[in-house]
Amino acid sequence: MLVFAASDKGGTGRSVTSINLAYRRALDGDDVCYLDFDFGSPTAPAVFDIPDVAKEAKGRGLHSYLNGMTGEALRVDVWARTEHQVLRSRPSGAGRLVLLPGDRTGGEFVTDGASLHRCVDLVNALRREFNLIVVDLSAGRSYAMELALSATAQTELRSLKTRWLVYHRWTRQHVMAAADLVTGERGIVSAGVSLGHDKDQLLGAIRFVRAAVPDLGSPQWSQVPPAQFAWMRQCNRELEGIAAGLGIGRSRVLGSVPLEPVLQLQEQLITDEDVLDSRIANIQTWQAIGELAERLADDKHWGLL
Amino acid sequence: MATPEETTRPVLACGEVRTCLLPSSRALSNKEAELLLRLRDDDHVRVSTRPGRHVLSPEILTGVDCRFPLANRAKVRGVGTVASRAALTEGRLLQASSYFRAPVEGPDRRQPWGYYLARPGTLLPVGRIPESACLQGFLTVREEGCLDIGSIAEALLARISRHTGLLDYDVPLRSAATKLWWTARPAAPGEGASLERFTLAEDGVRTVLLRVPRGTEITAVVGLCEDLALHDWLLTTMVEKLDDNGFGSADGTATLRVLGPLVDHLLHLWMPGARVDRTLGAVWEVIEEDPGFSRQWHTLVQRVRDQLALQAVMSQRQALATG
Ligand SMILES: Nc1ncnc2c1ncn2[C@@H]1O[C@H](COP(=O)(O)OP(=O)(O)O)[C@@H](O)[C@H]1O
Ligand SMILES: [Mg+2]
Repeated sequence: MLVFAASDKGGTGRSVTSINLAYRRALDGDDVCYLDFDFGSPTAPAVFDIPDVAKEAKGRGLHSYLNGMTGEALRVDVWARTEHQVLRSRPSGAGRLVLLPGDRTGGEFVTDGASLHRCVDLVNALRREFNLIVVDLSAGRSYAMELALSATAQTELRSLKTRWLVYHRWTRQHVMAAADLVTGERGIVSAGVSLGHDKDQLLGAIRFVRAAVPDLGSPQWSQVPPAQFAWMRQCNRELEGIAAGLGIGRSRVLGSVPLEPVLQLQEQLITDEDVLDSRIANIQTWQAIGELAERLADDKHWGLL
Repeated sequence: MATPEETTRPVLACGEVRTCLLPSSRALSNKEAELLLRLRDDDHVRVSTRPGRHVLSPEILTGVDCRFPLANRAKVRGVGTVASRAALTEGRLLQASSYFRAPVEGPDRRQPWGYYLARPGTLLPVGRIPESACLQGFLTVREEGCLDIGSIAEALLARISRHTGLLDYDVPLRSAATKLWWTARPAAPGEGASLERFTLAEDGVRTVLLRVPRGTEITAVVGLCEDLALHDWLLTTMVEKLDDNGFGSADGTATLRVLGPLVDHLLHLWMPGARVDRTLGAVWEVIEEDPGFSRQWHTLVQRVRDQLALQAVMSQRQALATG
């Protein structure tokens, strides 16, 4: 399965959440690789705690590969290379977890047929080895998004199950922007259709993920003054209304991840150690990401509504 | 064929073999394999059915002009062509090999392309390369600006993998590709082939250092290395599949899900040395001695059979209990 992580804006939580998803699927036994197409702001090396990746990826990362400057994209085995305390020993039953880092050294992106073919070749090689390929795209209507849509429209990749996660924060602006990224002008659907995708099939393969959502039912918010609480609930209802009106209401949402204090301060993995032993992170966050990871692979949650 | 200048000076040979499962739900027939591996119109695909099915593509050439990967970091330019070929064993295991011959001494100056094209599959140094730095370097140095033979082999795998008419990409088991880097130098006059080193390095890389009798065709060495790589891939994949799964747990269907594809697609592929040129057969003997490939293989196969037998007993017992 191929999963693209997209968002209209930066700072939505797309990268951090997707990396956590990849990690959780690997824990569940999937062989996972994570491709960092967001060349502008690489997050994965920090989150996976592999400090030397940026240097190593110079001239050998995905960007260089797609531009034809290296014949092979660098692969980094996360279990073997991480300095993260918890990750260092690959848990029994866990699948492979491999990072293909981006690099900024590849120069300007060349949007030609050659890079499209290289992209297809890469995915073709990866699907022999991995059953989950997660691709983190850059924000907005980017070149990376177009490449993803073109590549998946090629005959070679037609048979590969492909899913799109569109991340947004839980605010009016973010909700509108996310809807627009999918159904708006030059959005995923219209761009995809012009590249040869079937509209319904593409729509059926797109789900939204709400990131950093304040969960008003959680103890975290029980301390706020009543007036504030009432206002927040009112806002929440209005937002649900807006989302539903834009066609991205609950049925199109794969899941939401609650606002997590740990992630507010640091881009990192949420491990079971963080919620059970040191208890720095909320158990709800761990559960929400786990639920997302499950639904991601569950056909029941996908397809045309 | 050796050119006159090579009869006096040593010629090294280096290559890389990549091995992976064909991205297909079933094994291809020889006819299909022939179509898949038809890399050129002007040359034949070689099909053999005994021992075992083996289909070999014609050779293709890739022009290169880059630094030699030398262990002493000396900067010597290499110009010429790298040869590549693909092989499909039992319609199931796909291999791409890229390789070249390198005389330790070439012309002092870069020659026009015609000169290099007259020596296909040869990478000529501009000047001299120290023999051991070249052999060591090829097995260890992978850096920018240096020969990147892996990319050439990978490009061939990718090219073959694009054959949507023959491939459905629905592999029965997930497995990693392996890389085998090899170098060979001439043995002392009168001496036979020998294996100087076989190591497992990181990231699925194997390195092999060989000595081969003078006058050995490079394709014979390539054939040996493909055979080593294929059996090493089988071992690696079996170990990965068996070790990664917590057998002994009660879940019989999960066990069968892992073992089934191994039995259906891999177990019958073991045939070490069957296709290797007789002059190089000694290398397999060494490997069978230590680390003992076949010994390891038979132990793994036994584990698979034991698990299956156990599963059969358990499901029978379950049937009795519920029936
Ligand atoms: N559930 C969450 N709760 C709080 N902060 C979050 C959450 N998810 C992500 N963040 C934080 O938001 C910031 C932006 O996240 P990031 O994944 O880099 O966004 P993007 O990739 O969309 O630009 C990061 O500092 C990250 O740690
Ligand atoms: Mg990001």
